[in-house]
Amino acid sequence: MAEISFPLPDLGEGLIEATVLEWLVSPGEQVERNQPLVEVETTKSAVELPSPQAGKVVRIYGGPGDKINVGEPLIVFEVPDNTAGIVGTVPKEEAPKRRVRLSAVLDED
Amino acid sequence: MSNSILESESASGNNTADNTAGDTITNPAGSEPATTVMSMQQALNRALDEVLAENPKAVIFGEDCGRLGGVFRITDGLQARHGAQRVFDTPLAESGILGMSVGLAMAGFHPIPEVQFDGFAYPAINQMVCQIARMNYRSRGTMPMPITLRVPSFGGIRAPEHHGESLEALFAHVPGLKVVSPSNPHEAYHLLKYAATRPDPVIFMEPKSRYWQKGEVDAARHDAGGGSTTGAKVMREGRHLTLIAWGAMVARCLQVAELAAEDGIDIEVLDLRWLKPIDAEALAASVRKTRRAVVVHEAPLTSGLGAEVAQLITQSCFDTLRAPVERITGFDVPYPSGDLEDEYIPNIDRILFGIQRVLEYKRG
Repeated sequence: MAEISFPLPDLGEGLIEATVLEWLVSPGEQVERNQPLVEVETTKSAVELPSPQAGKVVRIYGGPGDKINVGEPLIVFEVPDNTAGIVGTVPKEEAPKRRVRLSAVLDED
Repeated sequence: MSNSILESESASGNNTADNTAGDTITNPAGSEPATTVMSMQQALNRALDEVLAENPKAVIFGEDCGRLGGVFRITDGLQARHGAQRVFDTPLAESGILGMSVGLAMAGFHPIPEVQFDGFAYPAINQMVCQIARMNYRSRGTMPMPITLRVPSFGGIRAPEHHGESLEALFAHVPGLKVVSPSNPHEAYHLLKYAATRPDPVIFMEPKSRYWQKGEVDAARHDAGGGSTTGAKVMREGRHLTLIAWGAMVARCLQVAELAAEDGIDIEVLDLRWLKPIDAEALAASVRKTRRAVVVHEAPLTSGLGAEVAQLITQSCFDTLRAPVERITGFDVPYPSGDLEDEYIPNIDRILFGIQRVLEYKRG
């Protein structure tokens, strides 16, 4: 298993921080992509952040009232090692299987 | 702007390998070759790290290339080491990524852009064909385009549509572009370092299904056998038939060669490496010896690069060929999404069938 950290994104144009209002997930929980993770408040508005990916929540940063700077870790997910980046899976190395056999009388001239 | 490192090798679509550059670095006499085992991801990352360190004009950019380090981790850590001026993120706009590369190249930089997945290259093809490929020609050699475009390519990771394609024939058809694809970590390290020091635009097609595959990398020298970085490479010697492939299909062809050996058929595997220009001499040398050839690629059959390879072989080996050159390829359908990939990409049995057809062929 591998860990992937999701930093707080810029939630408006040039905002530098956000305040955590309420976490909607907790460590150990399995979340789906786009599932609401946390409600945060910026100087512009209060928003729910959707999960950028599926995975198991390992850690969350900040409790209600805490400020988090843009770019600092917000949440860490555990994902299977065979997840190939954002899509796909790492191919398994398998012993080659065959059904076709070759037969030929080769002239060796 | 100094053009000293930017002199162009060729603006034309020269179809034979340029073997003039002596790129094989040999170890000092008596020293042991120092090889390191690493994945293709790590080999590419190391090559990029060294290119940035060696060439202050090299810049890397693309979607998620900077802070994240790339969705395939190829640019991992490079922004931290070389700064956000030299390794940075772009908007999700491939035409803009390549358009910016044109401007940077004009200003004397060596852009190393990434298109995140091969299926995302289509919006950038206008910049590639209409600007990058012909700027040197258009300017009578005064405005070369030293651009190394990295494209995670081909299928094999069960990705959705547009995340796996096989575009080599499209790129290779454009005069002014060079195209190369590594088949293992050692090739990836050396070919990327070579491509990223060229004065010409090079499309660097990384076989994404091989990213995690580990292998020995000898950073000090590319070809122990004294071959050239600009040509094809014999990966396995054989007497009866030559299998020609590139990218991820090389490993599959090496497996096929092992299986064929159980049946007493001795197969040579040629890694084409450069898809433009194609090393016609290496094709001729191998098939003159084996007299039979099968070319394997993931792209669809019709107008695929296999046709070009077959013609080059026919041209040089018509009198010695024992059978028409066989092509084992993807089907003439859009590159399918992950669930159908195994049916589409040439598998071991399809390649063995092709070999059997060539072995059975009777002339006249």
